[in-house]
Amino acid sequence: MSSVTQTLAKGQAESLPAPTTEDFIVRRPSVLRMLVSDVGACISLVLVVLVIAGAILAPWLAPSDPYGGDLANTLKAPGEMGLLGTDGQGRDMITRLLFGLRTTLLMGFASVVFGCALGGLVGFVAAYYTRVSGLLMRLMDVLLSFPAILFGLAIAAIFGPGLTAVIIALSIATVPLMARVVRGSAIVVLQQDYIESARSLGMSDARIIFKYLLPNCLSAIFVFVTLRFGQVILLGAALSFLGLGAQPPTAELGAMAADGRNFLFFAPHVSVLPSLVIFVVVLAFNVLGDALRDALDPKLRK
Amino acid sequence: MNRLTALLLGSAAAVAATAAPVSAQQKAPLSILRVIDADNYDPIRSTSTAAAEALYMLADTLVSVDFDMKTIKPGLAESWKVSPDGTTYTFKLRTDVKFCDGRPMTAEDVVYSLKRWTDPANKSPVSFRGGQVKDIRAEGDATVVYELKEPYSDLLFQIGLSFASVVDKNAVEKLGANFGVQGFNATGPYCWVKWTPRQELVMKKNPHYTWGPPIYKDPKPQIDEIVWKIIPESNTLMAAIQAKQADVTYYMPYIALDTMQRMPGMQVQRQDNYIYDIFMGFKVDKPVASEGVIREAVNMAVNKDAIAKAIFFGKGQTLPALLNASVLDFDKDAAAKMPKYDPAAAAKLLDAAGWKAGADGLREKDGKKATFTVYGIRNDVNPRITEAMQADLRKVGIDMKIQLWDATVAWGKLATQEFDAFVMAYPYVTATEALNLYFNSRQAPTPNRMNWKDAKTDEMLKAAATAVDADKRKQAIGAVQAQLTEANVWVPLVSQPLWVVSGDRVEGVRAHGVYGAGLYKGLDIKLKR
Repeated sequence: MSSVTQTLAKGQAESLPAPTTEDFIVRRPSVLRMLVSDVGACISLVLVVLVIAGAILAPWLAPSDPYGGDLANTLKAPGEMGLLGTDGQGRDMITRLLFGLRTTLLMGFASVVFGCALGGLVGFVAAYYTRVSGLLMRLMDVLLSFPAILFGLAIAAIFGPGLTAVIIALSIATVPLMARVVRGSAIVVLQQDYIESARSLGMSDARIIFKYLLPNCLSAIFVFVTLRFGQVILLGAALSFLGLGAQPPTAELGAMAADGRNFLFFAPHVSVLPSLVIFVVVLAFNVLGDALRDALDPKLRK
Repeated sequence: MNRLTALLLGSAAAVAATAAPVSAQQKAPLSILRVIDADNYDPIRSTSTAAAEALYMLADTLVSVDFDMKTIKPGLAESWKVSPDGTTYTFKLRTDVKFCDGRPMTAEDVVYSLKRWTDPANKSPVSFRGGQVKDIRAEGDATVVYELKEPYSDLLFQIGLSFASVVDKNAVEKLGANFGVQGFNATGPYCWVKWTPRQELVMKKNPHYTWGPPIYKDPKPQIDEIVWKIIPESNTLMAAIQAKQADVTYYMPYIALDTMQRMPGMQVQRQDNYIYDIFMGFKVDKPVASEGVIREAVNMAVNKDAIAKAIFFGKGQTLPALLNASVLDFDKDAAAKMPKYDPAAAAKLLDAAGWKAGADGLREKDGKKATFTVYGIRNDVNPRITEAMQADLRKVGIDMKIQLWDATVAWGKLATQEFDAFVMAYPYVTATEALNLYFNSRQAPTPNRMNWKDAKTDEMLKAAATAVDADKRKQAIGAVQAQLTEANVWVPLVSQPLWVVSGDRVEGVRAHGVYGAGLYKGLDIKLKR
């Protein structure tokens, strides 16, 4: 036993190089490794990828025309006609779900992109230029006090119902949330020494914002975007359910759920299937967002 | 002492509270479910079916309409005479009629009510239905003379509608704008108790009532209390009837009718003579809708039979002509001119007219795309009907954009010029009434939303309305039907059926349906328990 220990000790002493500064840094697992080690995150990541792929490839994957109805075969149960049955116009449910997913994701994506771009800009400006911070953030507070549904109703009343109205409403509802998140993390970053150094070197405001501020806030932005995506899809589906969103014959998951509610007792699949897809998509984005937050938060890293 | 009184009152209230359910159970009111409420219940101020269906029970009219929707029977008037020139109607009134408050009804009450309806000063949206009134006067206690400036062949049918209900002058003057909102007094089989808007309307039996129209077996009301409840969501309404929480409805979703028919004790009946038609009308002065070829092609491309069958779950009837075949003065020859379903012929017609299909499959002519926007009310059937039409029209290269609105804003939107076509459902009693309402140039922009302004139509409509001779009226209104059919101003879709569902506690229910009122006076209905 003791000879083994001695041998090992001797071997180590002979093979290990002398310790460097690198050896004193605690190595943290990478974001990807942390995500992969979380089963929930893995499943949600796979689901998100599948959902996005399904939406993009809908025209090639769908077994039939999403707009071609067949009134002789309406409300067929799953299995009776096609794998998932038909809707109130006799259209194949798989086709409608794929195209509905496409519209819903597009609506969510557009709203998040527009809302986050504008909200991010407001957040950075408010954090960097303290003179306008109060005014901008109070404006954001005012926006925050309006429910997204109310925005949707107001915008639909002005422009008429449709996808554009929903995207505008959801984008506006996203702006104040994004502005808050960005301002919060930008304020922390702005207190760092390297910002001070950049300023003392005479860098322009725009350069400081884009070169240092933005990259250092990216993790917070990324987490917010992922979580917000799920919320926006849910809100968009709710607005479409109320008839403010996608107009016929466009397939949209919320509108599809609304279409089926009149037959809830007789052909539940027409409402249940799109609702289930919304549920899965939102859950997947939320779980992924949570996992990303954990992975990107230094305090939570082991 | 005060404590003792409070204690006694409290105990009494507790006893009453425990006793109340028992007495309520013994005399549980007849519960009628519907999906929408009226804005008010003043006969001359509300045009809605929701008002009419309650007003027929709360008030009476001089004449009544039989179950065939064509025969006029006595009501408050025992008999009537029409002068040979068709301008003077003399009504002989019953003398045993009393208002809900017990006051006997006189000829003066009838004159007051009819003048209130027709006087332009009252700005009633339905005053036009009374015709060109010269004078309405009482002659003695039991005779009313209705004098017109020109003959009006529809008058008796119009006087049978709820708009011409006889109401109590004292109540109208006392309540002012709140008449039909906070209270009501008339001579109907049931009396106003309380209205909670968008919730319920409660009415109780008129104890004096013995003058029901002869179309019923028993002229007296049999039920002590009726509650009209609003359940806007059709699944909930269905569940309430199934669970026996309510007794009667004629707003049952069509998909549920077969299930209801199979339920023990449940009665499901259909009124064959019900006239409540769904059509799509074109604004004939809009760029694409103004093209007669497009309108004709739409009429040929839409599979109305499939819509009637699928959307109404086998309970609907295709509307093969401009008007319902059951209606008075329906013209068979005009109906034969309606284009038949033939999408291939529709495509050929469009090709021949220069509407060629583009790369996206959509037709265009002179740089103008074959696209139009349809407006309508978002209800249970319109979304499905319009979507089915949209799919049919896509097949022939016409793009129909659908914009349906919530009932609260729809009427405002339907009064604008924003749309090219609209989908509408409407009740009517005669061909002359329906076409005068929708196609007279005076009626633009609403209800003549088609902006149809044609001197020949106006002339024939007037000839029909003022005809003294029934044959001449039929001929004139038949000519209008032929002209409008050939112009394809409307795409007639479905005759909306009336199905009344009643539970096992109820007997004697018979579907009527004049102006959408499924139960009309509500007589002959009895509760078994």
